[in-house]
Amino acid sequence: MKRLTILLVLLALVTLGVLACAPAPTPAPTAAPPTKAPEVKPPSATATPTQPPLPPRTAKGGIRKSTSGYKGTLNLWVLGYTPGNAFANPFDNAIAQFMADNPDIKVEITGYPPNDEGFTKLTTALQSGQGIDLLRLPSDRLPQYVRDDLVEPIDAYLTDADKADILPNVLEVTRLKDGKAYAWPLWVVPMGIYVNKDVFAEANVPLPPKNWTWEQFVDAAKKTTFKRPNGEQVYGFSGFVDPGVINTWGLWMIEDPSVRPIGKDGTFGFNSPAAYKGLQRFADLALVHKVTPPDFGAQKDSDVKGGFQNKQFAMIVDATGPAAAFKGANVNFEIYPHPTVNGNRLTVGAVGLIAVAKIKDSVKRQAAMDLARYLTSGEVQEDVPPGSNVPTGFYLAPGARKSVKVVDPLDKFIPMLPDMWVTPLVPEWAKFTRLFHPEYQNILFGKIKPEEAMKKIAPEAEKLLQSK
Amino acid sequence: MRAIRNFIRKYGWAYAFILPSMTTFIVFTLIPVVWAFIISFQKYSLVRGGQWVDPIYANYVTAFTMLNGIFVTAIRNTLFYTVFTVTTNILVGLILASLIQPLSHRWRTFFRAAYYLPAVTSAIIIGMTWAYIFNGQWGFANYLLRLFGFAPLRWLSDPDIALGSVTLSAMLTIPATAVVLYSAAMNGIPNEFYEAAEIDGANALQRWWYITVPLIKSTTLYLVVLYTIASFEVFERIYVMVPSGVANSTQTIVTQIYNNGFKDFDFGVASAQAFVLFVMIATVAVFQFRALQSDVEY
Repeated sequence: MKRLTILLVLLALVTLGVLACAPAPTPAPTAAPPTKAPEVKPPSATATPTQPPLPPRTAKGGIRKSTSGYKGTLNLWVLGYTPGNAFANPFDNAIAQFMADNPDIKVEITGYPPNDEGFTKLTTALQSGQGIDLLRLPSDRLPQYVRDDLVEPIDAYLTDADKADILPNVLEVTRLKDGKAYAWPLWVVPMGIYVNKDVFAEANVPLPPKNWTWEQFVDAAKKTTFKRPNGEQVYGFSGFVDPGVINTWGLWMIEDPSVRPIGKDGTFGFNSPAAYKGLQRFADLALVHKVTPPDFGAQKDSDVKGGFQNKQFAMIVDATGPAAAFKGANVNFEIYPHPTVNGNRLTVGAVGLIAVAKIKDSVKRQAAMDLARYLTSGEVQEDVPPGSNVPTGFYLAPGARKSVKVVDPLDKFIPMLPDMWVTPLVPEWAKFTRLFHPEYQNILFGKIKPEEAMKKIAPEAEKLLQSK
Repeated sequence: MRAIRNFIRKYGWAYAFILPSMTTFIVFTLIPVVWAFIISFQKYSLVRGGQWVDPIYANYVTAFTMLNGIFVTAIRNTLFYTVFTVTTNILVGLILASLIQPLSHRWRTFFRAAYYLPAVTSAIIIGMTWAYIFNGQWGFANYLLRLFGFAPLRWLSDPDIALGSVTLSAMLTIPATAVVLYSAAMNGIPNEFYEAAEIDGANALQRWWYITVPLIKSTTLYLVVLYTIASFEVFERIYVMVPSGVANSTQTIVTQIYNNGFKDFDFGVASAQAFVLFVMIATVAVFQFRALQSDVEY
């Protein structure tokens, strides 16, 4: 019994020791003392060359200044953010400017990757209601969060100036329940064809005209599919195919305006002769013309982008995001619209948004709305202009406000916007893409005919797309 | 009171020692498993909690019928992966352990440590390495094929062979646990058995087949059950090697559970699928115990 007592005392001592070593609990945001604006320090000798010092931060007023009176921390979740990368630097710089005007508000950024796993992490945080106040997200994810009542409506916070500035059709995209808007539109993200000018020059192929047709596109892809003297194979075209993205869809949906997931009569629009034709035409790039890499259809995103940057692919289809990274890496490239088919013009894409999570504290909610307004404004582009670590400034895609001025190469996407189709905002969109994706891959691999594949999934697809 | 005091005096130490592991087991295994079983009959949301579904077995029906019946394909794929990997792992483990057994103590230790390396290497790293090897454009596997005049293969992008490639990668990874456990089991066999067999004129192969293999049957049973459970739960390797999938050819039971639970947040259907997996594993384990249980003592 004595030994047992000694053992218990020892256990208690070890427990105390462990507790003493644990980090101190973080005070609740509302109880946090006012935080000072971070000081601008001279660049450290050990600073990595990829992370230049932030620009000087000065209080400026305007919409950068929150009128909320909030003192504490705001947690901002940013898609694709990894410290030092092309998606992080613009936000780091902008947040530094915001905190200069709001020394009592500390903004902490959490990154999540642009794939299914990232959205899983985001949704879990939102559902738990912990550590998330604002989130940058693509439009196709918003309906699920609105349905589950996880984000705040923004109408009460929209000023007349906001309403006059935000592109009305883009704001309309976020009106998902009771006519209310549920997010601040940030930017519009169309897909474009990235053309590697060095590969074209190496293959001695002149750059095609920008108003190119599908035949000209295929011809260019064929001519830029060649073997280098060292045996390395170069391919004319590639693109990322995954349940989480629609990068390649525009190239076959362009077949006919009726080729859309939800047809005009509410039926599954990919189950039509025009859709079969478009899908087969696109699959023929791999199956007939042989201009795609062997793993096309199952390639990793990093292999697609890396292959383009390393001159293994002459052309890829991708969103606006990589443009800044390619520019920063001195890739010699040009951005083209999708080639026309039957005279049709189309690009597909989504709208980038900043939403505010459900916040009970009205003062904090006001501060979050103020930050969201700033991060979606024309002013943030002036505060974070193109520089060494932000090649295109704050905006990585054409802005959703008239006041936003984007620079090269993003301005090349602007002519595509009138022809842009935005993914439908239905709660079961992610499940639909999981149903569609394997059949789409099978078509690209030549394992099934488009008609057979689309007929197979049509009843369930229709049910998912009509879900409310 | 006296009886209780006596009981504590007699067994107190024993209970004190098992208390931490029992507490951990109850909190982190038993309660979640029971809760998951309840959720498998509910429409469950982290925000709104659970509501019973109607009919009560609806999630189990959905589990098998949703997304074009993909769960049935996933079960078939998992069985394919399990049969090949378990068989190969047991055979390779047995052969390697047998080959290092006659070596000197120093060499045996060296090989055991070397063969154990895959077990302490992250499954993600192993998966990524195999993804590089099987890359259709610049992978080592196609380099070898070209070297010997064969046409390159789309190892990880052809639905007809992608699952085979993933399975092959598991088969070619040294089964570290099997080598170490078989080696330990072989060490425990008394030398007298081999000496007697040698006097009776048995050659090395006969001694191995008639003495070694039967006497390590209990280890074989343990390893078969262990590897079967691990194979039924295959996830990381698939997730790393073919993140976007290859049509539905690389979907397994656990990738489906993951998709439903953590992509669609459909915890009810995910829990139902998890219990289908539980029943499958339990059934297979019972059959394995019946077929391989050993009454040999030495």
